[in-house]
Amino acid sequence: MSPLTGKHERRLDQDLAGLPQSIEPRRDLWPGIAARLESGRVRPARRWAWQAAAAVLLVASSSIVTLQLVKSRVPAVADAPASAPVPSAMPAAFGPGHALDPEYLAAKEQLAEMLAQRVDAMPASARSKLAANLAELQRATAEINAALALQPGDPLLEELLLNAYQAELGVMANVNQLTRLNGTVNQTDSARIRL
Amino acid sequence: MSLLLRTPSPACGKPALAGLLGLLLFASSAALAGTSLNERRPAEPTGHVEVSNTAGTVSISGWDRREVEVTGELGKGAERLEFETSGKVTHVRVILPKKTRNVESSELVIRVPAGSSIAVNTVSADVQVRGVQGSQRLQTVSANIDTESAAEDVECKTVSGDVEIRGSGAPTLLTLTTVSGDATVDRVAGEVNANTVSGDFRLDLGAVSRSRLRSTSGDMSMSGQLTADARIDVEAISGDVRVDFDGPVNAEFDVSTFNGDIRNCFGPKPVRTSEYAPGRELRFREGPGSGRVRIKTLNGDVDVCRR
Repeated sequence: MSPLTGKHERRLDQDLAGLPQSIEPRRDLWPGIAARLESGRVRPARRWAWQAAAAVLLVASSSIVTLQLVKSRVPAVADAPASAPVPSAMPAAFGPGHALDPEYLAAKEQLAEMLAQRVDAMPASARSKLAANLAELQRATAEINAALALQPGDPLLEELLLNAYQAELGVMANVNQLTRLNGTVNQTDSARIRL
Repeated sequence: MSLLLRTPSPACGKPALAGLLGLLLFASSAALAGTSLNERRPAEPTGHVEVSNTAGTVSISGWDRREVEVTGELGKGAERLEFETSGKVTHVRVILPKKTRNVESSELVIRVPAGSSIAVNTVSADVQVRGVQGSQRLQTVSANIDTESAAEDVECKTVSGDVEIRGSGAPTLLTLTTVSGDATVDRVAGEVNANTVSGDFRLDLGAVSRSRLRSTSGDMSMSGQLTADARIDVEAISGDVRVDFDGPVNAEFDVSTFNGDIRNCFGPKPVRTSEYAPGRELRFREGPGSGRVRIKTLNGDVDVCRR
């Protein structure tokens, strides 16, 4: 592209100066613009809801698959009461496009496996509550991830997500500890005790 | 029972039948009942007492004697009660046989020197503690915890049990963890840290210097007086948060929510963080601002007020 010569530059200036400074629209466009702006404000929330729902579905399905895998590795205990499903490790990431550290995931998987082995030692009511609350944590994590998809790098969301991951680990570790303490102290197969 | 049918006359048969039935009932109840407990061991006035019981109850109270007493009942099917003292540590454990069914609940009533520290572990045995001045570590899987705190540390941890704690107003460190259990805390002061997934927590505190509260979907309600250098940190995902302050408020506030509402009785109005996103935040200083209050939620609403 060749540079403009002085002659061309002057002519361009004249043409630009000849253009009207403002153009009145043939009709009042503002009501339409305002309506579109309003609908634009609502749209992110709707997208957010759809993405959250999709993420929850994804997490739920992956949890079921992981649970089946974990359960298949745990030897069945004869006469053990029927267990409520306990969701285990789910795919985790700090927002879209970020993968968590493999060591973190391995530690989490290990906790989930321990939990799957010990969960039968819990009273049935506590077991079902634990399952519901782990699912609640995973739903919360999926919800934050979906929000991060809309607002990548949001510090509030990243902090909440990090703490949600920690909370999930904390719950699994605490339940493992509580069941281990009682199991060790009493030296008994708690699954066979009528509680 | 066939003997009863041969009773010669109804007149004298009725008392005999009643007596025999009574005897049978007594015999059967004696067979069903557990073993009564009544044992004592000498103990240090500021020793440590560890208790474990799978199902039933554990009731511990402090007294002014230098001994630990265990009364109550060992549930039918339990192997034995292990009750031993070694140095400053006393163990009280209900030992269950390996691979057994239908072990009945054991009810332990334990009295310990008031200055003792205690550690209690149960599965479904409710725990009640009264008049113990030392530190407490109370853990259950599904049972409720009901205790009083003095000036020493208290840690309560449960999966689905509810927790109730009454403090003396003296500064202490309280650590409270539940998965789904609710918690009520009254008159505990100092440092209070609480975590839950879906439990609702109501913390009616004294003077608070440090507090870190975390919830996923449970609601958190906290009230208390802030010390000059207080650090309060509350976080919830979808649970609502309410904080009410007693007395003068001296703190910097940093409140933000991604999709909830913020309502405050003092300070400026919250502002939107973005024109198109639902987030809101509220930052202001009240008084000299030496304390710090930080509240974060995803969807939960936040209320900040004076009481």
